[in-house]
Amino acid sequence: MSPELAREIDVFEGQIALKKQGKIEEKLFAEARLRRGAYGQRYDNGQRHDGIVQRTIPFPCGDLNKGPETVWDAPGMQRIKIPFGGMTAEQLEVIADLAEEYSGAVLHVTTRQDIQLHYVHIEDTPDLMRRLAAVGITTREACGNAVRNVTACPRAGVCHGESFDVTPYAKAMAYFLLGHPDTQDMGRKFKVAFSGCKDGGCGLTNIHDIGFTAKTWQENGQTKRGFEVVVGGGLGAVPYEAKLFDEAVPEEEILPLAQAICRVFARLGEKRNRGRARMKFLVDKLGIDEFRRLVLEERKILPHDPRWTGYLEEVAAYREQPLKPAKKLDLTQLTPSFDAWRATNVYPQKQPGYAVVTVTLPLGDLTSWQARQLADIARKYAGDNIRLTVEQNIVLRWVAEADLPAVYRELEAAGLSVGGASKIEDVVACPGTDTCKLGIASSRGLAAELHERFKARQQSGELDPALRDLHIKISGCFNSCGQHHLADIGFYGVSRKVGGTTVPHFRVLLGGQWENNGAAYGQTIGGIPSKRVPEFIDRISAKYLEERQEGERFRDYVNRLGKKALKELVDEFATVPPYAVDRSYYSDWRDPREFTISDIGTGECAGAVVPRIEFDLQAAEQRVFEASVYLDEGDYRKADEAAYQSMLIAAAGLVRTQLWDIADDPDQIVAEFKARFYDTQLFQSKDAGQYAGGKFAQYLFNRHADKDRAFTADKARRLVEEAQLFIEAAYGCHHRLQEQQSQAMAAFGAPTAPAEV
Amino acid sequence: MDLHKFGFKFFAADAERVDLLALIPVFHRWIQTDALPDLLLDVGDYSHLPAGPGIILVAHEGTYGFDEAGHRRGVQYYSKRPLSGDLPERLATVARKTLLAARLLADEPELNGAVRIPGNELRFFANDRLIAPNTDEAYAALEPALRSFLDRLYAGAPYTIEREPDPRERLGVTVRTEQPVALEALLERL
Repeated sequence: MSPELAREIDVFEGQIALKKQGKIEEKLFAEARLRRGAYGQRYDNGQRHDGIVQRTIPFPCGDLNKGPETVWDAPGMQRIKIPFGGMTAEQLEVIADLAEEYSGAVLHVTTRQDIQLHYVHIEDTPDLMRRLAAVGITTREACGNAVRNVTACPRAGVCHGESFDVTPYAKAMAYFLLGHPDTQDMGRKFKVAFSGCKDGGCGLTNIHDIGFTAKTWQENGQTKRGFEVVVGGGLGAVPYEAKLFDEAVPEEEILPLAQAICRVFARLGEKRNRGRARMKFLVDKLGIDEFRRLVLEERKILPHDPRWTGYLEEVAAYREQPLKPAKKLDLTQLTPSFDAWRATNVYPQKQPGYAVVTVTLPLGDLTSWQARQLADIARKYAGDNIRLTVEQNIVLRWVAEADLPAVYRELEAAGLSVGGASKIEDVVACPGTDTCKLGIASSRGLAAELHERFKARQQSGELDPALRDLHIKISGCFNSCGQHHLADIGFYGVSRKVGGTTVPHFRVLLGGQWENNGAAYGQTIGGIPSKRVPEFIDRISAKYLEERQEGERFRDYVNRLGKKALKELVDEFATVPPYAVDRSYYSDWRDPREFTISDIGTGECAGAVVPRIEFDLQAAEQRVFEASVYLDEGDYRKADEAAYQSMLIAAAGLVRTQLWDIADDPDQIVAEFKARFYDTQLFQSKDAGQYAGGKFAQYLFNRHADKDRAFTADKARRLVEEAQLFIEAAYGCHHRLQEQQSQAMAAFGAPTAPAEV
Repeated sequence: MDLHKFGFKFFAADAERVDLLALIPVFHRWIQTDALPDLLLDVGDYSHLPAGPGIILVAHEGTYGFDEAGHRRGVQYYSKRPLSGDLPERLATVARKTLLAARLLADEPELNGAVRIPGNELRFFANDRLIAPNTDEAYAALEPALRSFLDRLYAGAPYTIEREPDPRERLGVTVRTEQPVALEALLERL
């Protein structure tokens, strides 16, 4: 485990302890835990409707919470970031262990190539994170207002249609932006994706804040690598298609460009109204031309960073190693079941003799035992070439074609040989009301029902081949985690009142486009009761088969049919029998409780917007705590240096509220702090002398000036005490300035608190 | 051994008769009626996973379920929060919770006797590899408390213990007695 990662987790564990002692403000703790991927889960406000009455869950923790309206003892979700979905067999095994010990022995693959574990207690998360860190996985910035998992096409490097392998670029981007100072003050989450081609649907660049699509061009007689860059895409309640930022950005420019975009977003993006805080709203508000101008201006003034191009050496050297030599499949030994599976779950790589095997995961789930079996299969046939997909499946790459029958048999023994990858039965669904606080209807319940129906029809030969390529995607609410906009047939959960009783419904979207990186969003047609969704799908698919023109795809058919005719079709299924006639409509799939929306909680997707300065001051506190530990251990030099660093962190935090670009240089920090906070007397308290700020500022100046310092016990002890006083004064200064700002805004009639979505 | 996270599974007989989805309303009703000693929170459906957790009933203290791991169905409970008492007492506490759920499920009217738990076969598993990895050393540290507990549970009747051989799997044993034992009798001994 890297020392830096170990320290981060120690800090988080310390924050947990401090929160239990009531020493950290709840919004700050909530954002800190979200940035470590520790997310809330349904009923964590301590309220649950049991089907008869709404009940307060009497958790033993009492009033202790882990964020606003989030009870300490309530089970939560741990999101595990897997950059570009790439995993080793060892990593898969470790997550399998963690799922057993801290969750429910199930790993859930998400539409962002993450893995989520549910029902995790907050106090178990530091150990969980350490065990992940030991195999090179961090959960940092998996949630919260941060750069989320960087996704990439799971066929990168082996795809016939790609310009080149985007894997090393996605990896470089993920680790460049992770924890980068310019990504720490965003008003909302930020998503980045890479695709190797324009035609496929694996990368979905068009729904991202920044989407990179690989391309090459000729320059001075040489082939140049780069990317078409789109910005400001996003799904959510109001989907925005990304806009073209630049047709061809050279490979050496993608990291600084992303950094400049992050800066512009952090500086100009909405911070108060979370519902308008994603970058898509900023791009829309400014217009792509003005946004581009601002970003390019920012790019010009970025201080040089060797990492911008340093990673290109790794790109050149990047090679995945096949475990076994390439060998063609023996076509004389095929069985019908193997052949059926091969038709949907095997993709021949561009490297002859090798194939990508897709392991279809119903609802994106696999058990810990299955994960270990899969790790064994990978070790035996594919090596560490495992990737998660945005369709909630797992792929094994570099499987020698001759090994496919054996791989199939071993997957079958592990219950992992389900066919139909990317077909109609491979329904994508977000967690919905199963575990999500925002879920309105049961996306997983409906997905399970549809999966079983279509699977049975396929097995019995009743499923028309023309329907099999359709995509169905379901979200439990309008927030689109199930990517319903991109499906041929998409749904998102809503509710309707019928005769005074609430009935689960899904709104129908038709004609979305998965291909071309999610190039077109489906049309929203209308709502139908949850229990009538299967009937509706049967009706529209039968109508399509009956009325389609030769070669006409479903999307083209629904576009030809038009919204009015589609609405009429949906309306045929809109009726709900009275409660007294059929109660089944009044509960959701696989949940017999009478339906209610009272279980919906407050979303943590964005977290509260916590200013960067508050994290800085907390980091300063952590550092001075470490200084005191060194002191106790008798390491006076380390204690002295850590205490000095803690003051620098606090001072830099204050400076950063005025000067975005403060460098990580003690001389500059002290000079700027002196000019902006000491000379202006902002650091000095004017209210009853609560903090003698001027005196405390001298502690920093004196230590900074003491270049030939002797590291003695007395000096170190005194400096630790001085640093503590300096940090308290910094807190006082920050709070005074915040109050003054609120008063000023109130005087102008501006809102002083973040608006709710 | 300071083990707090562990579980028991009492295997079911003729378990293929059980419709997993029929357990969902039963578990929801148990939440409504506070049918078990833990703080019951929610129901999870994993019936789509072969040899998986089946249907689970999530509680604050631990997780109940009609489990299918190892392609063998049974009533399972494992603790997730710290327990009181020494290890033999903790083992008894967790086994008792498992047996209470097993008895309730066996008596469940909606299931028409589909769940039968003969009581002569159980699986114990330590659910904490940091404290109890699947090693000979860890088993040696666990064994005295485990045997003491099993002697109490089976009241001196002979039983066999078979250890989980795969070191990657959790430290665990399958325990068998020759004759079935009524759940009521097992509960009385705890």
